[in-house]
Amino acid sequence: MENINWVAIYTMVRREVTRTFRVVVQTLVAPVISASLYIFIFGVVVGRSIDTIVGVPYITFVFPGILMLSVINASFSSSSSSLYFARFTKSIEELLVAPVSYLEIIFGYMLGSMMRALIVASLILLVGVLFGAVSLVSPLLFVIYILGVSAIFSLLGMLVGLWAQSFEQLSVLNTFIITPFTYLGGIFYSITMLPETAQIITMLNPFFYFVDGIRNAMIGISEANIFVGAVVIGGLVVGLGSTVFYLFKTGWRVRV
Amino acid sequence: MQKYDSDTTPILQVQNLTKAYGRKTILENFNLDIAKGGFFGLLGPNGAGKSTLIHCVTGIARITAGKVLVGGSDVETEYQAARRQIGLSPQEFNVDIFATPLQLLDFVGGYYGLSASVRKERAEELITQFELTDHAYKQFKELSGGLKRRVTLARALMHKPPLLILDEPTAGVDVEQRHSLWRYFRELNQSGTTIILTSHYLEEIEQLCTEVAIINKGKLLIRESIEDFTKEGSVEEKYLRLTSGNTF
Repeated sequence: MENINWVAIYTMVRREVTRTFRVVVQTLVAPVISASLYIFIFGVVVGRSIDTIVGVPYITFVFPGILMLSVINASFSSSSSSLYFARFTKSIEELLVAPVSYLEIIFGYMLGSMMRALIVASLILLVGVLFGAVSLVSPLLFVIYILGVSAIFSLLGMLVGLWAQSFEQLSVLNTFIITPFTYLGGIFYSITMLPETAQIITMLNPFFYFVDGIRNAMIGISEANIFVGAVVIGGLVVGLGSTVFYLFKTGWRVRV
Repeated sequence: MQKYDSDTTPILQVQNLTKAYGRKTILENFNLDIAKGGFFGLLGPNGAGKSTLIHCVTGIARITAGKVLVGGSDVETEYQAARRQIGLSPQEFNVDIFATPLQLLDFVGGYYGLSASVRKERAEELITQFELTDHAYKQFKELSGGLKRRVTLARALMHKPPLLILDEPTAGVDVEQRHSLWRYFRELNQSGTTIILTSHYLEEIEQLCTEVAIINKGKLLIRESIEDFTKEGSVEEKYLRLTSGNTF
């Protein structure tokens, strides 16, 4: 049994951070501008005409969802594009010929992508503070949700990075699953504003638990069962992690 | 940790190796042992199975059947121990084209578990050795073909592997640089590094190798010392004779 190659994992994280800063406009500036626009339009402009929602100002209500949306996008796009690009340029072979285990490769990609998500989250939190939109009821729960959700989308991004055969395919999941499911997960509205059937459907949307969880951590208001949310997040991390491990172990679309 | 103790133990043992891509078999029951310290030339026409063999040895390809041992470690079941002993300079430039040579060396050193200080020292040494000092901070995509080749060679040597696999290492390199690389390869070999070289420059094989093998259609056609191989003429003449009808 070999010891864990921590240096390799750390190197992969450093490589991803280097990549993030290499295209800083695309990876950091763009999501911060998008989030700032969301906060300004939905929080300040629209929010002025809304008294309160579930007892808090609208800007305070929507901010956690906007933050989560950015974390999801950052972690997903980081791992999917990084892995796809490594396959496209065959630079993945640098790792395949090195004494790095599949688990270490997965952790390296995952932690590197989570790192980008954390940088983006920190910058958006800063913008939120400037707009007076940030409150933090449970810092521990906040950290757990941010880490859990960014881990899920890093792993999902790796799946797409392995699966995609073209740059177009790389954006398919984002366009058809992530974006609509996140928007329908209650970022901008309370589930109680929906008709009963729509409420039930929303409960089946895992993104609802991500948004609700972070909102609970930030403003102390939850519309979902926290236990169900924890099971959804934990289950997805384990399920996606196992799938990615299996694919790497079998060499699917990585080893010839 | 290397598993072999004796100089007589082959550094590479390929045992009944079969590699197929779908229904197409590239290598079938292929056997090859390479002794420690040799300079081994691997020849064959395009599609003969040379790169497939290298891919199976290094971990890029999955093995269909058979076994490959590097320094006594199985490349499938003890892949980490096996890979630590191999340095690969591939035919294609398989690098992050936006990274600089220094970053590439640093990252690869990290994958092999080298500490930051060792990586820095080794990277600087290789940058100097391969005359890349003026290009160390340029993106890989901005470099000429010869410089790119030198970067991938430096990358293969970052962890000082006992077995170096050079797949067309001087393709795209000018004559002067080629001779300079030859000198370096000789020095490396003399200092104990086993080298496996594939090249379409048969002169290169003749100049450098102590042993030559020809693969064609996934089979080993011949394996001889360079002296025996060149008894009746040049490497090129014998190569063409043995592979005639298989090249065009």
